[in-house]
Amino acid sequence: MSDIMVDQTHKPEETAVPNNLLQHQRQQSVRENAEYEDEELHKLLVPDITLLPLTPPSAVESNFASYFAPDFMKSGNDQYVYRHANGLCVVGLASTHSAFKDKGGVSAVDFNVGKSDRSGMKVTGKRKKNAQHFESNTALCKVCTNDDLYIVRCCVKGSLLEVNERLIKQPELLKSSADREGYIAIIMPKPADWLKAKASLLSLEDFKKLRALC
Amino acid sequence: MSNEVESVQVSDVTEVNQLSSSTAVESHAGSCDDEMPLQLLNEAVRSMPNHVVKALLSIGVCSRCVLRIFGTEDRIYCHPLLSQSMLRSILEEVAGFKSEGNFQICSICLGILQFCYCDDKETMVKMESPNDMALIIAQLVKKEGHQIDGFSLEVSVPQLILENESSLLSGMKMRYESEPWFQERLLSKCVSVKDVLKFAITKPLETLLDVKSSTAGCFRIRLTYTHKRASDNSVERNQGFKRRKIGKENGLHNVNDEPVITNKVCSDYSTDETICVTGRSSNLLQDQEPSEQLTVPIDKVSEPCQLVYLCYRTHIYLCGRYLKFSRNVSQTRWIIDEERMGEASVEEIIGSNILPMCQGDNYKFHAAGREDIDVRMLGSGRPFLLEIQNARQVPSEETVNEIESKINGLENKLVGVKNLKVVGSQGWTLMREGEAEKQKQYCALVWISRPLEDEDVQSISLVNDMKILQKTPIRVLHRRSPLEREKIIHWMKIERIAGSSQYFLLHLCTQAGTYIKEFVHGDLGRTQPSIGSILGCRAEILRLDVTDVKMDSF
Repeated sequence: MSDIMVDQTHKPEETAVPNNLLQHQRQQSVRENAEYEDEELHKLLVPDITLLPLTPPSAVESNFASYFAPDFMKSGNDQYVYRHANGLCVVGLASTHSAFKDKGGVSAVDFNVGKSDRSGMKVTGKRKKNAQHFESNTALCKVCTNDDLYIVRCCVKGSLLEVNERLIKQPELLKSSADREGYIAIIMPKPADWLKAKASLLSLEDFKKLRALC
Repeated sequence: MSNEVESVQVSDVTEVNQLSSSTAVESHAGSCDDEMPLQLLNEAVRSMPNHVVKALLSIGVCSRCVLRIFGTEDRIYCHPLLSQSMLRSILEEVAGFKSEGNFQICSICLGILQFCYCDDKETMVKMESPNDMALIIAQLVKKEGHQIDGFSLEVSVPQLILENESSLLSGMKMRYESEPWFQERLLSKCVSVKDVLKFAITKPLETLLDVKSSTAGCFRIRLTYTHKRASDNSVERNQGFKRRKIGKENGLHNVNDEPVITNKVCSDYSTDETICVTGRSSNLLQDQEPSEQLTVPIDKVSEPCQLVYLCYRTHIYLCGRYLKFSRNVSQTRWIIDEERMGEASVEEIIGSNILPMCQGDNYKFHAAGREDIDVRMLGSGRPFLLEIQNARQVPSEETVNEIESKINGLENKLVGVKNLKVVGSQGWTLMREGEAEKQKQYCALVWISRPLEDEDVQSISLVNDMKILQKTPIRVLHRRSPLEREKIIHWMKIERIAGSSQYFLLHLCTQAGTYIKEFVHGDLGRTQPSIGSILGCRAEILRLDVTDVKMDSF
């Protein structure tokens, strides 16, 4: 606090000093307050490293329930269905799919499966207008390797919301991350249809056992 | 003074009335001379054509209606000292009309200006003076516990009254058009039932409530008259409840979570019934010859109107910023299949603490944006607006500060409040204004699949207004349109965490509407670019906090 005593007879310049000092002190306390708040905030943000897992669960693991369809309609056609809590299903090729056993990997992905080009459809609006309704055995796309051609199917009966068109330009995504960026499509089944489909799908545990994976 | 008046010709009457009315205005309020109103009334009555008054009385028009139709200056007939019976006897005396003994409901105003109505218990009530009605209203206001500093009075009457009045005026025109007094006295001077009633009640009400009335008051006193005859379903409508519609989504809820039903009866609906015509139809005015009798095609009614008193305060608003410290508290009440998601909601914590201090009926919570249940809202807080309906009292600044301290002092420390204050209806515009340009700041706990390098920290810090494309995240795709939205990442900064090579804090500032979680983990490649794609590895987000919602006006 200022110890300067203000004498009325002093010239104006001299009496201005205590005012400035007071203002400065006030500003300083505001700044300190802000810094204090920032510090408090920072304390809340920094985590306790000892409580964190070495490898956290992935986004897919945290948000989806994984199911598998081994040998779907054809031997070696292993596909996965990741189901989100909101009912949407992401379908794709499991790592044990025959396509990945071929030398040279995946050369092309084609969504044109005869009747229509799945990559051409446009679903709009909250009600998902224009979405095509497919059965579980409806073809989604063709996956070509150097040696062979594989047909990927829906596995779940429902409306097709989206196909992963990135696969057209970047088919290597399938090989590098079939379970993430290499997904095939997103399907929206009705609750009743999901229950039926679920009955013939395997959990991750059971699938691992089946394929003797670690 | 009175001698002069009696000897004046009829044609000079208006002038005299104006003179006497100006003096009457001064003496009207709190006149210590009880003779004055009576005197003025006598003068007014004598100025009206007697045969017309007689005709009106004979078809069942009440005294005040007779006087208002002639546009009697200063509405002296509303004076509290002039009772129904007094008015009646003066009119009858001057007009030379003898009425039947019993009280009859006016065929035009259906008893409204006779201060006669059916209350909500279906009992017929008849009052001598407007003061009695004002008293009932004042008692209602006090019973509800309203603290007010003004009021505005609203009256709604059944359409039937306007139709009756219109028929009467047409009939009178038809009959008396040719007479000399007609041009001066009629049609243009007629005062409406609503205006008369409002005028009669306002002054005594101001006195009883000790406040002034205004047209744009925040406290509304509404008198709604309805009549059974006007519609077959009117009974149901009078007694029934109407759910008030507000805004788009959220319904109303009060502290006890009951759906709120307000006792607001619809006003002035049009009637579909056909009025029984006795004699000629009023539509055929022009070509008819004036008849001897005054024929007005309306039926007398046997029951008065039903009256509902309603008083309420228009919405008050409290604004402020809220903080959410818990990762298990949703912003608004969230119930799926009768089960609550999360342990509480910001809306309920704030609303339930403020509502009782305002003694309101219910509240509605509006926030500038929202965050997920597992995301904390820290730093400056998120602006919100709390709408309180029918508050019995507007909290003072001191009370508001108390509420803020109380919420911040709650034991479980789930929610905090800042800058809480009462705000006018401009609160809405303030909220909407800042919304579009809002930038938001976040802090995310990120893990990557390889150790963090200095180059990574560098490249992230170089980001400046980077555009990203986000397809509708899968987690909301079920309820939102499948679109591709372009968003801007304004800046980013990595803060290393001591003791870890793969975990770090990511501070970022983005455009409003950006999905941060998806920007970190990429949403199966549907958000491009993402942190993972920028750093060339897999990235996962463990925790997210909102650290700043930039909005100046709050």
